[in-house]
Amino acid sequence: MTVALPERGARSPLARYWHSLRLLATRDLRVRYSTSFLGYFWSILDPLVMAGIYWFVFTQVFDRSVGAQPYIVFLLSALLPWTWFTGAVSDTTRAFIKEAKLVRSTKIPRTIWVVSLVMSKGIEFVASLPVLAFFVIIGGAAVNPDLLLFPLAIAIQAILTVGIGLIVAPLVVFFRDLERAVKLGLRFLFYASPIIYGVTDLPQWLHFWASFNPLSGIFSIYRSAFFSDQLDWSMVLISAAMSIVILCIGMLVFKRTIRSVLKEI
Amino acid sequence: MTQSDIADRAAAAPQTAVISVTDAGIRYRRNRRARRNFKDLFSARARKTRPGEFWALRHVTFDVQPGEAIGVVGRNGQGKSTLLKLVAEVVLPDEGRVGVRGGVAPLIEITGGFVNDLSVRENVFLTAGLHGMKRSEIESQFDEIIEFAEIGDFLDTPYKHLSSGMKVRIAFAVVSRLEEPIILVDEVLAVGDRAFKEKCYNRIEELLAGGRTLFIVSHSEKDLRRFCTRGLYLDKGQLVLDAPIAEVLERYNAEYGVK
Repeated sequence: MTVALPERGARSPLARYWHSLRLLATRDLRVRYSTSFLGYFWSILDPLVMAGIYWFVFTQVFDRSVGAQPYIVFLLSALLPWTWFTGAVSDTTRAFIKEAKLVRSTKIPRTIWVVSLVMSKGIEFVASLPVLAFFVIIGGAAVNPDLLLFPLAIAIQAILTVGIGLIVAPLVVFFRDLERAVKLGLRFLFYASPIIYGVTDLPQWLHFWASFNPLSGIFSIYRSAFFSDQLDWSMVLISAAMSIVILCIGMLVFKRTIRSVLKEI
Repeated sequence: MTQSDIADRAAAAPQTAVISVTDAGIRYRRNRRARRNFKDLFSARARKTRPGEFWALRHVTFDVQPGEAIGVVGRNGQGKSTLLKLVAEVVLPDEGRVGVRGGVAPLIEITGGFVNDLSVRENVFLTAGLHGMKRSEIESQFDEIIEFAEIGDFLDTPYKHLSSGMKVRIAFAVVSRLEEPIILVDEVLAVGDRAFKEKCYNRIEELLAGGRTLFIVSHSEKDLRRFCTRGLYLDKGQLVLDAPIAEVLERYNAEYGVK
Protein backbone atom coordinates (compact mmCIF):
# COMPACT_ATOMS: atom_id res chain seq x y z
CA MET A 1 0.00 0.00 0.00
CA THR A 2 1.37 3.36 -0.85
CA VAL A 3 0.75 6.33 1.32
CA ALA A 4 1.71 9.23 -0.86
CA LEU A 5 0.79 12.66 0.40
CA PRO A 6 -2.51 13.37 -1.26
CA GLU A 7 -3.48 16.74 -2.56
CA ARG A 8 -6.00 18.22 -0.20
CA GLY A 9 -8.40 20.95 -0.97
CA ALA A 10 -7.08 23.87 1.03
CA ARG A 11 -9.56 25.17 3.52
CA SER A 12 -9.56 28.68 4.82
CA PRO A 13 -9.01 29.20 8.56
CA LEU A 14 -12.54 30.50 8.85
CA ALA A 15 -13.98 27.38 7.25
CA ARG A 16 -11.95 25.23 9.63
CA TYR A 17 -13.13 27.28 12.58
CA TRP A 18 -16.74 26.86 11.55
CA HIS A 19 -16.22 23.15 10.89
CA SER A 20 -14.77 22.49 14.35
CA LEU A 21 -17.36 24.68 15.98
CA ARG A 22 -20.20 22.75 14.41
CA LEU A 23 -18.68 19.42 15.33
CA LEU A 24 -18.31 20.36 18.99
CA ALA A 25 -21.71 21.98 19.31
CA THR A 26 -23.47 18.98 17.77
CA ARG A 27 -21.37 16.67 19.93
CA ASP A 28 -22.59 18.46 23.06
CA LEU A 29 -26.18 18.15 21.94
CA ARG A 30 -25.78 14.54 20.91
CA VAL A 31 -24.25 13.61 24.26
CA ARG A 32 -27.01 15.37 26.11
CA TYR A 33 -29.74 13.67 24.14
CA SER A 34 -28.24 10.21 23.88
CA THR A 35 -27.76 9.83 27.62
CA SER A 36 -31.11 10.99 28.87
CA PHE A 37 -34.50 9.51 28.23
CA LEU A 38 -36.40 12.77 28.01
CA GLY A 39 -33.68 14.41 25.92
CA TYR A 40 -35.04 17.53 24.29
CA PHE A 41 -37.73 17.96 26.92
CA TRP A 42 -35.21 18.69 29.63
CA SER A 43 -34.12 21.84 27.87
CA ILE A 44 -37.69 23.17 27.84
CA LEU A 45 -38.80 21.62 31.11
CA ASP A 46 -36.55 23.80 33.21
CA PRO A 47 -37.83 27.17 31.97
CA LEU A 48 -41.35 25.76 31.83
CA VAL A 49 -41.36 24.74 35.49
CA MET A 50 -39.87 28.09 36.47
CA ALA A 51 -42.48 29.92 34.43
CA GLY A 52 -45.19 27.78 36.02
CA ILE A 53 -44.00 28.67 39.51
CA TYR A 54 -43.82 32.40 38.85
CA TRP A 55 -47.11 32.38 37.03
CA PHE A 56 -48.74 30.67 40.04
CA VAL A 57 -47.14 32.93 42.62
CA PHE A 58 -47.79 36.17 40.81
CA THR A 59 -51.22 35.57 39.38
CA GLN A 60 -52.84 33.14 41.81
CA VAL A 61 -51.24 33.95 45.17
CA PHE A 62 -50.46 37.64 44.83
CA ASP A 63 -52.23 40.14 42.71
CA ARG A 64 -49.91 40.78 39.86
CA SER A 65 -49.03 44.43 39.45
CA VAL A 66 -46.08 43.95 37.07
CA GLY A 67 -45.73 42.69 33.54
CA ALA A 68 -48.57 42.38 31.10
CA GLN A 69 -51.40 40.11 30.12
CA PRO A 70 -51.05 37.18 29.30
CA TYR A 71 -48.44 36.93 32.02
CA ILE A 72 -47.24 33.45 31.03
CA VAL A 73 -46.20 34.75 27.60
CA PHE A 74 -44.62 37.77 29.27
CA LEU A 75 -42.62 35.43 31.51
CA LEU A 76 -41.57 32.90 28.89
CA SER A 77 -40.46 35.51 26.36
CA ALA A 78 -37.67 36.45 28.77
CA LEU A 79 -37.22 33.16 30.64
CA LEU A 80 -36.31 31.15 27.55
CA PRO A 81 -33.49 33.49 26.51
CA TRP A 82 -32.45 33.72 30.15
CA THR A 83 -32.13 29.92 30.21
CA TRP A 84 -29.77 30.17 27.25
CA PHE A 85 -27.74 32.90 28.91
CA THR A 86 -27.42 31.30 32.31
CA GLY A 87 -26.81 27.81 30.90
CA ALA A 88 -24.07 29.00 28.57
CA VAL A 89 -22.32 31.19 31.16
CA SER A 90 -22.28 28.48 33.80
CA ASP A 91 -21.06 25.95 31.22
CA THR A 92 -18.18 28.20 30.23
CA THR A 93 -16.89 28.17 33.79
CA ARG A 94 -16.02 24.54 33.13
CA ALA A 95 -15.01 24.94 29.48
CA PHE A 96 -11.34 24.15 29.94
CA ILE A 97 -11.58 21.89 32.96
CA LYS A 98 -14.04 19.52 31.32
CA GLU A 99 -12.26 19.42 27.99
CA ALA A 100 -8.73 19.40 29.38
CA LYS A 101 -7.66 16.24 27.54
CA LEU A 102 -8.95 17.44 24.22
CA VAL A 103 -7.49 20.92 24.64
CA ARG A 104 -4.13 19.31 25.40
CA SER A 105 -4.14 17.27 22.21
CA THR A 106 -5.71 19.36 19.46
CA LYS A 107 -4.69 22.74 18.21
CA ILE A 108 -7.98 24.16 17.00
CA PRO A 109 -8.38 27.87 17.83
CA ARG A 110 -9.07 27.90 21.57
CA THR A 111 -11.94 30.36 21.49
CA ILE A 112 -13.94 27.48 20.00
CA TRP A 113 -14.17 25.90 23.44
CA VAL A 114 -16.21 28.88 24.62
CA VAL A 115 -18.09 29.67 21.43
CA SER A 116 -19.26 26.07 20.95
CA LEU A 117 -20.89 26.06 24.38
CA VAL A 118 -22.74 29.27 23.64
CA MET A 119 -23.77 27.84 20.32
CA SER A 120 -25.10 24.53 21.62
CA LYS A 121 -27.16 26.32 24.26
CA GLY A 122 -28.29 28.76 21.60
CA ILE A 123 -29.52 25.91 19.44
CA GLU A 124 -31.48 24.59 22.40
CA PHE A 125 -32.96 28.04 22.85
CA VAL A 126 -34.12 28.22 19.25
CA ALA A 127 -35.49 24.69 19.59
CA SER A 128 -37.51 25.80 22.61
CA LEU A 129 -39.25 28.63 20.77
CA PRO A 130 -42.19 26.43 19.68
CA VAL A 131 -43.12 26.27 23.38
CA LEU A 132 -43.39 30.05 23.39
CA ALA A 133 -45.47 29.91 20.23
CA PHE A 134 -47.75 27.38 21.88
CA PHE A 135 -48.45 29.66 24.84
CA VAL A 136 -48.85 32.67 22.57
CA ILE A 137 -51.66 30.84 20.79
CA ILE A 138 -53.21 29.46 23.99
CA GLY A 139 -52.94 32.78 25.81
CA GLY A 140 -54.21 34.71 22.83
CA ALA A 141 -51.34 37.20 22.83
CA ALA A 142 -51.20 39.66 19.98
CA VAL A 143 -48.16 39.23 17.74
CA ASN A 144 -46.79 42.33 16.07
CA PRO A 145 -44.13 42.91 13.38
CA ASP A 146 -41.43 43.40 16.04
CA LEU A 147 -41.23 39.63 15.93
CA LEU A 148 -38.89 40.16 13.00
CA LEU A 149 -36.37 41.65 15.45
CA PHE A 150 -35.76 38.25 17.07
CA PRO A 151 -32.56 37.62 15.05
CA LEU A 152 -31.21 40.97 16.24
CA ALA A 153 -31.83 40.01 19.87
CA ILE A 154 -30.24 36.60 19.30
CA ALA A 155 -27.19 38.23 17.73
CA ILE A 156 -26.69 40.71 20.59
CA GLN A 157 -27.21 37.99 23.16
CA ALA A 158 -24.69 35.70 21.43
CA ILE A 159 -22.10 38.50 21.40
CA LEU A 160 -22.70 39.25 25.07
CA THR A 161 -22.58 35.61 26.15
CA VAL A 162 -19.44 34.82 24.18
CA GLY A 163 -17.81 37.93 25.65
CA ILE A 164 -18.58 36.90 29.20
CA GLY A 165 -17.50 33.34 28.45
CA LEU A 166 -14.15 34.49 27.10
CA ILE A 167 -13.54 36.36 30.36
CA VAL A 168 -14.78 33.67 32.71
CA ALA A 169 -13.43 30.49 31.07
CA PRO A 170 -9.68 31.20 31.34
CA LEU A 171 -9.89 32.91 34.73
CA VAL A 172 -11.67 29.95 36.35
CA VAL A 173 -8.64 27.80 35.54
CA PHE A 174 -6.59 29.90 37.95
CA PHE A 175 -9.22 30.98 40.42
CA ARG A 176 -11.54 28.06 41.03
CA ASP A 177 -13.59 30.18 43.45
CA LEU A 178 -14.80 32.08 40.46
CA GLU A 179 -16.97 29.14 39.47
CA ARG A 180 -19.14 29.56 42.54
CA ALA A 181 -18.97 33.33 42.35
CA VAL A 182 -20.39 33.16 38.85
CA LYS A 183 -23.25 30.96 40.04
CA LEU A 184 -24.08 33.47 42.73
CA GLY A 185 -23.77 36.33 40.28
CA LEU A 186 -26.18 34.62 37.90
CA ARG A 187 -28.76 34.16 40.62
CA PHE A 188 -28.50 37.83 41.49
CA LEU A 189 -28.74 38.79 37.85
CA PHE A 190 -31.93 36.79 37.46
CA TYR A 191 -33.76 39.15 39.78
CA ALA A 192 -31.82 42.18 38.59
CA SER A 193 -32.94 41.61 35.01
CA PRO A 194 -36.41 42.28 33.63
CA ILE A 195 -37.66 38.69 33.58
CA ILE A 196 -40.50 38.44 36.10
CA TYR A 197 -41.10 42.15 35.66
CA GLY A 198 -40.57 44.68 32.89
CA VAL A 199 -38.25 47.67 33.03
CA THR A 200 -41.29 49.96 32.98
CA ASP A 201 -42.37 48.45 36.32
CA LEU A 202 -39.22 49.73 38.01
CA PRO A 203 -39.26 52.99 39.95
CA GLN A 204 -38.18 55.92 37.80
CA TRP A 205 -34.77 56.36 39.43
CA LEU A 206 -33.82 52.76 38.60
CA HIS A 207 -34.54 53.06 34.86
CA PHE A 208 -31.17 54.60 34.20
CA TRP A 209 -29.28 51.82 35.97
CA ALA A 210 -31.42 49.06 34.54
CA SER A 211 -30.51 50.10 31.03
CA PHE A 212 -26.88 49.37 31.84
CA ASN A 213 -27.75 45.73 32.33
CA PRO A 214 -27.22 44.51 28.78
CA LEU A 215 -29.91 41.89 29.27
CA SER A 216 -32.57 44.60 29.67
CA GLY A 217 -32.24 45.74 26.10
CA ILE A 218 -32.04 42.20 24.76
CA PHE A 219 -35.13 40.99 26.61
CA SER A 220 -37.03 44.11 25.62
CA ILE A 221 -36.58 43.12 21.97
CA TYR A 222 -37.86 39.60 22.54
CA ARG A 223 -40.82 40.94 24.48
CA SER A 224 -41.71 43.63 21.99
CA ALA A 225 -42.97 40.91 19.64
CA PHE A 226 -45.97 40.45 21.93
CA PHE A 227 -45.97 43.62 24.03
CA SER A 228 -45.02 46.52 21.79
CA ASP A 229 -44.70 48.97 24.67
CA GLN A 230 -41.70 47.02 25.97
CA LEU A 231 -39.36 48.08 23.17
CA ASP A 232 -37.01 50.88 24.12
CA TRP A 233 -34.46 51.64 21.41
CA SER A 234 -32.13 53.62 23.66
CA MET A 235 -31.91 50.61 25.94
CA VAL A 236 -31.27 48.30 22.96
CA LEU A 237 -28.52 50.61 21.77
CA ILE A 238 -26.86 50.66 25.19
CA SER A 239 -26.99 46.89 25.51
CA ALA A 240 -25.61 46.36 21.99
CA ALA A 241 -22.75 48.73 22.74
CA MET A 242 -22.05 47.09 26.08
CA SER A 243 -22.15 43.63 24.55
CA ILE A 244 -19.55 44.64 21.99
CA VAL A 245 -17.37 46.23 24.67
CA ILE A 246 -17.63 43.07 26.78
CA LEU A 247 -16.72 40.95 23.76
CA CYS A 248 -13.62 43.12 23.17
CA ILE A 249 -12.60 42.84 26.82
CA GLY A 250 -13.20 39.11 26.60
CA MET A 251 -10.99 38.70 23.56
CA LEU A 252 -8.26 40.71 25.24
CA VAL A 253 -8.44 38.72 28.48
CA PHE A 254 -8.52 35.47 26.53
CA LYS A 255 -5.55 36.38 24.40
CA ARG A 256 -3.47 37.45 27.36
CA THR A 257 -4.23 34.44 29.54
CA ILE A 258 -4.44 31.56 27.06
CA ARG A 259 -0.68 30.89 27.23
CA SER A 260 -0.91 30.25 30.96
CA VAL A 261 -4.17 28.34 30.64
CA LEU A 262 -2.61 25.84 28.25
CA LYS A 263 0.20 25.21 30.71
CA GLU A 264 -2.10 24.87 33.66
CA ILE A 265 -4.57 22.30 32.37
CA MET B 1 23.95 30.70 21.35
CA THR B 2 24.23 34.46 20.95
CA GLN B 3 21.73 36.74 19.29
CA SER B 4 23.91 37.20 16.21
CA ASP B 5 24.28 33.43 15.82
CA ILE B 6 20.55 33.11 15.81
CA ALA B 7 20.19 35.86 13.26
CA ASP B 8 22.80 34.18 11.04
CA ARG B 9 21.05 30.89 11.33
CA ALA B 10 17.68 32.34 10.57
CA ALA B 11 19.09 33.91 7.46
CA ALA B 12 20.83 30.70 6.41
CA ALA B 13 17.95 28.35 7.12
CA PRO B 14 16.26 27.35 3.94
CA GLN B 15 12.63 28.24 3.65
CA THR B 16 11.69 24.62 3.19
CA ALA B 17 11.92 23.60 6.85
CA VAL B 18 8.65 22.12 8.04
CA ILE B 19 9.44 22.67 11.68
CA SER B 20 11.57 25.57 12.70
CA VAL B 21 12.21 26.16 16.38
CA THR B 22 14.19 29.27 17.22
CA ASP B 23 15.50 29.97 20.71
CA ALA B 24 12.29 28.60 22.18
CA GLY B 25 11.74 28.50 25.91
CA ILE B 26 8.81 27.63 28.11
CA ARG B 27 8.43 28.15 31.80
CA TYR B 28 6.28 26.31 34.29
CA ARG B 29 5.41 26.92 37.90
CA ARG B 30 7.16 24.66 40.32
CA ASN B 31 4.26 24.21 42.70
CA ARG B 32 0.57 24.76 42.44
CA ARG B 33 0.37 26.87 45.54
CA ALA B 34 2.72 29.51 44.24
CA ARG B 35 0.93 32.78 44.52
CA ARG B 36 -0.60 33.89 41.36
CA ASN B 37 -2.03 37.31 40.89
CA PHE B 38 -3.78 39.17 38.17
CA LYS B 39 -0.70 41.16 37.29
CA ASP B 40 1.33 38.03 36.58
CA LEU B 41 -1.42 36.54 34.56
CA PHE B 42 -1.74 39.47 32.23
CA SER B 43 1.90 40.38 31.79
CA ALA B 44 2.29 39.28 28.23
CA ARG B 45 5.73 37.74 27.96
CA ALA B 46 7.93 38.89 30.81
CA ARG B 47 11.36 37.41 30.30
CA LYS B 48 12.22 37.60 33.96
CA THR B 49 11.95 34.30 35.81
CA ARG B 50 9.72 34.75 38.80
CA PRO B 51 10.31 32.88 42.02
CA GLY B 52 8.74 29.44 42.02
CA GLU B 53 9.09 29.02 38.28
CA PHE B 54 11.53 27.03 36.22
CA TRP B 55 12.36 26.75 32.55
CA ALA B 56 11.25 23.36 31.27
CA LEU B 57 12.98 24.20 28.02
CA ARG B 58 15.17 27.11 27.08
CA HIS B 59 17.28 28.24 24.13
CA VAL B 60 16.19 25.35 21.98
CA THR B 61 16.92 25.85 18.31
CA PHE B 62 16.63 23.42 15.43
CA ASP B 63 15.09 22.98 11.99
CA VAL B 64 13.47 19.95 10.51
CA GLN B 65 13.38 19.29 6.78
CA PRO B 66 10.48 17.46 5.18
CA GLY B 67 10.80 13.71 5.37
CA GLU B 68 13.21 13.65 8.29
CA ALA B 69 12.63 11.23 11.16
CA ILE B 70 13.70 12.65 14.46
CA GLY B 71 13.99 10.92 17.80
CA VAL B 72 14.03 12.88 21.03
CA VAL B 73 16.17 11.36 23.75
CA GLY B 74 16.63 12.27 27.38
CA ARG B 75 15.86 11.20 30.91
CA ASN B 76 12.48 11.68 32.52
CA GLY B 77 11.56 15.30 33.14
CA GLN B 78 14.13 16.82 30.83
CA GLY B 79 11.58 18.42 28.55
CA LYS B 80 10.98 15.79 25.87
CA SER B 81 7.20 15.79 26.02
CA THR B 82 7.14 19.55 26.44
CA LEU B 83 9.11 19.87 23.22
CA LEU B 84 6.61 17.62 21.47
CA LYS B 85 3.73 19.71 22.75
CA LEU B 86 5.42 22.87 21.52
CA VAL B 87 5.76 21.35 18.06
CA ALA B 88 2.13 20.21 18.19
CA GLU B 89 1.31 23.82 19.14
CA VAL B 90 -0.87 22.74 22.03
CA VAL B 91 1.24 24.91 24.31
CA LEU B 92 2.83 28.20 23.33
CA PRO B 93 6.44 29.22 24.01
CA ASP B 94 7.20 32.00 26.51
CA GLU B 95 10.15 33.12 24.46
CA GLY B 96 11.52 32.44 21.04
CA ARG B 97 9.30 30.99 18.39
CA VAL B 98 8.05 27.70 17.07
CA GLY B 99 7.04 27.61 13.45
CA VAL B 100 5.26 24.63 11.99
CA ARG B 101 4.37 24.59 8.32
CA GLY B 102 1.71 22.15 7.38
CA GLY B 103 -0.62 20.13 9.53
CA VAL B 104 0.33 17.90 12.39
CA ALA B 105 -1.07 14.50 13.32
CA PRO B 106 -0.37 14.35 17.04
CA LEU B 107 -0.27 10.88 18.55
CA ILE B 108 -0.29 12.55 21.95
CA GLU B 109 -3.06 11.71 24.39
CA ILE B 110 -4.76 10.16 21.41
CA THR B 111 -7.78 8.97 23.35
CA GLY B 112 -8.39 12.51 24.65
CA GLY B 113 -10.96 13.51 22.09
CA PHE B 114 -13.13 10.44 22.48
CA VAL B 115 -16.42 10.83 24.26
CA ASN B 116 -17.52 8.02 26.56
CA ASP B 117 -21.22 8.27 25.87
CA LEU B 118 -21.04 8.28 22.09
CA SER B 119 -20.66 5.23 19.89
CA VAL B 120 -17.42 4.24 18.20
CA ARG B 121 -18.79 5.37 14.86
CA GLU B 122 -19.72 8.82 16.14
CA ASN B 123 -16.38 9.13 17.88
CA VAL B 124 -14.43 8.38 14.71
CA PHE B 125 -16.24 11.15 12.86
CA LEU B 126 -15.84 13.55 15.76
CA THR B 127 -12.13 13.03 16.38
CA ALA B 128 -11.11 12.90 12.74
CA GLY B 129 -13.23 15.98 12.13
CA LEU B 130 -11.64 17.92 14.97
CA HIS B 131 -8.25 17.12 13.52
CA GLY B 132 -9.35 18.73 10.30
CA MET B 133 -10.63 15.90 8.11
CA LYS B 134 -13.64 16.59 5.96
CA ARG B 135 -16.68 14.39 6.23
CA SER B 136 -16.20 12.99 2.76
CA GLU B 137 -12.57 12.14 3.54
CA ILE B 138 -13.58 10.33 6.70
CA GLU B 139 -16.29 8.41 4.92
CA SER B 140 -13.89 7.16 2.29
CA GLN B 141 -11.40 6.05 4.94
CA PHE B 142 -13.86 4.78 7.48
CA ASP B 143 -13.66 1.10 6.58
CA GLU B 144 -9.89 1.12 6.58
CA ILE B 145 -9.84 2.76 10.00
CA ILE B 146 -12.18 0.18 11.46
CA GLU B 147 -10.32 -2.66 9.84
CA PHE B 148 -7.01 -1.39 11.14
CA ALA B 149 -8.39 -1.15 14.67
CA GLU B 150 -9.98 -4.64 14.35
CA ILE B 151 -13.09 -3.30 15.95
CA GLY B 152 -15.77 -4.03 13.34
CA ASP B 153 -18.17 -5.70 15.78
CA PHE B 154 -18.28 -2.73 18.12
CA LEU B 155 -19.22 0.11 15.79
CA ASP B 156 -22.33 1.05 17.72
CA THR B 157 -21.02 0.28 21.17
CA PRO B 158 -20.59 3.29 23.44
CA TYR B 159 -16.91 4.12 23.66
CA LYS B 160 -16.86 3.63 27.42
CA HIS B 161 -17.69 -0.07 27.05
CA LEU B 162 -14.58 -0.82 25.02
CA SER B 163 -11.58 -2.43 26.68
CA SER B 164 -8.66 -0.11 27.26
CA GLY B 165 -6.70 -1.86 24.52
CA MET B 166 -9.48 -1.32 22.01
CA LYS B 167 -9.73 2.33 22.99
CA VAL B 168 -6.11 2.92 22.12
CA ARG B 169 -6.41 0.88 18.94
CA ILE B 170 -9.27 2.87 17.52
CA ALA B 171 -7.63 6.12 18.57
CA PHE B 172 -4.36 5.20 16.89
CA ALA B 173 -6.22 4.07 13.79
CA VAL B 174 -7.96 7.44 13.49
CA VAL B 175 -5.03 9.74 14.21
CA SER B 176 -2.57 7.79 12.06
CA ARG B 177 -5.06 8.15 9.18
CA LEU B 178 -4.87 11.92 9.18
CA GLU B 179 -3.38 13.10 5.94
CA GLU B 180 -0.97 15.45 7.63
CA PRO B 181 2.67 15.91 6.64
CA ILE B 182 4.00 15.81 10.21
CA ILE B 183 3.47 13.00 12.71
CA LEU B 184 4.26 13.36 16.38
CA VAL B 185 4.52 10.23 18.51
CA ASP B 186 4.76 10.32 22.29
CA GLU B 187 5.27 6.83 23.66
CA VAL B 188 1.71 5.84 22.85
CA LEU B 189 3.05 2.67 21.36
CA ALA B 190 3.85 1.27 24.77
CA VAL B 191 0.28 -0.05 24.94
CA GLY B 192 -1.58 -2.70 23.04
CA ASP B 193 -0.61 -6.30 22.46
CA ARG B 194 2.44 -7.26 20.48
CA ALA B 195 0.65 -7.95 17.22
CA PHE B 196 -1.04 -4.56 17.25
CA LYS B 197 2.17 -2.85 18.22
CA GLU B 198 3.87 -4.38 15.19
CA LYS B 199 0.99 -3.16 13.07
CA CYS B 200 1.47 0.36 14.40
CA TYR B 201 5.17 0.21 13.62
CA ASN B 202 4.44 -0.91 10.10
CA ARG B 203 1.97 1.90 9.72
CA ILE B 204 4.53 4.43 10.88
CA GLU B 205 7.06 3.02 8.43
CA GLU B 206 4.50 3.27 5.65
CA LEU B 207 3.90 6.89 6.54
CA LEU B 208 7.62 7.58 6.59
CA ALA B 209 8.00 5.93 3.20
CA GLY B 210 5.22 8.20 2.00
CA GLY B 211 7.37 11.22 2.76
CA ARG B 212 5.98 12.25 6.13
CA THR B 213 8.06 13.92 8.77
CA LEU B 214 8.26 11.98 12.02
CA PHE B 215 8.97 13.39 15.45
CA ILE B 216 9.12 10.71 18.10
CA VAL B 217 9.75 10.62 21.83
CA SER B 218 10.77 7.23 23.15
CA HIS B 219 12.86 5.45 25.72
CA SER B 220 13.20 2.41 23.53
CA GLU B 221 16.55 2.41 21.81
CA LYS B 222 15.31 -0.24 19.43
CA ASP B 223 12.41 1.89 18.22
CA LEU B 224 14.57 4.94 17.86
CA ARG B 225 17.13 3.12 15.77
CA ARG B 226 14.40 1.56 13.67
CA PHE B 227 12.67 4.79 12.67
CA CYS B 228 14.98 7.71 13.17
CA THR B 229 17.86 9.15 11.29
CA ARG B 230 18.52 12.13 13.50
CA GLY B 231 18.42 12.53 17.26
CA LEU B 232 17.88 15.42 19.62
CA TYR B 233 19.31 14.95 23.10
CA LEU B 234 17.66 17.02 25.81
CA ASP B 235 19.14 17.46 29.24
CA LYS B 236 18.00 19.89 31.93
CA GLY B 237 15.82 21.73 29.47
CA GLN B 238 18.64 22.37 27.03
CA LEU B 239 19.27 20.86 23.64
CA VAL B 240 22.73 19.45 24.23
CA LEU B 241 23.21 17.45 21.06
CA ASP B 242 21.64 17.48 17.61
CA ALA B 243 23.28 14.73 15.56
CA PRO B 244 22.65 11.42 13.79
CA ILE B 245 20.67 9.09 16.00
CA ALA B 246 23.54 6.62 16.62
CA GLU B 247 25.76 9.38 17.91
CA VAL B 248 23.03 10.77 20.14
CA LEU B 249 22.24 7.38 21.65
CA GLU B 250 25.92 6.75 22.24
CA ARG B 251 26.29 10.00 24.15
CA TYR B 252 23.11 9.38 26.11
CA ASN B 253 24.23 5.90 27.07
CA ALA B 254 27.65 7.17 28.03
CA GLU B 255 26.12 9.73 30.37
CA TYR B 256 23.15 7.90 31.80
CA GLY B 257 23.19 4.37 30.46
CA VAL B 258 23.37 1.30 32.61
CA LYS B 259 26.96 0.19 32.57
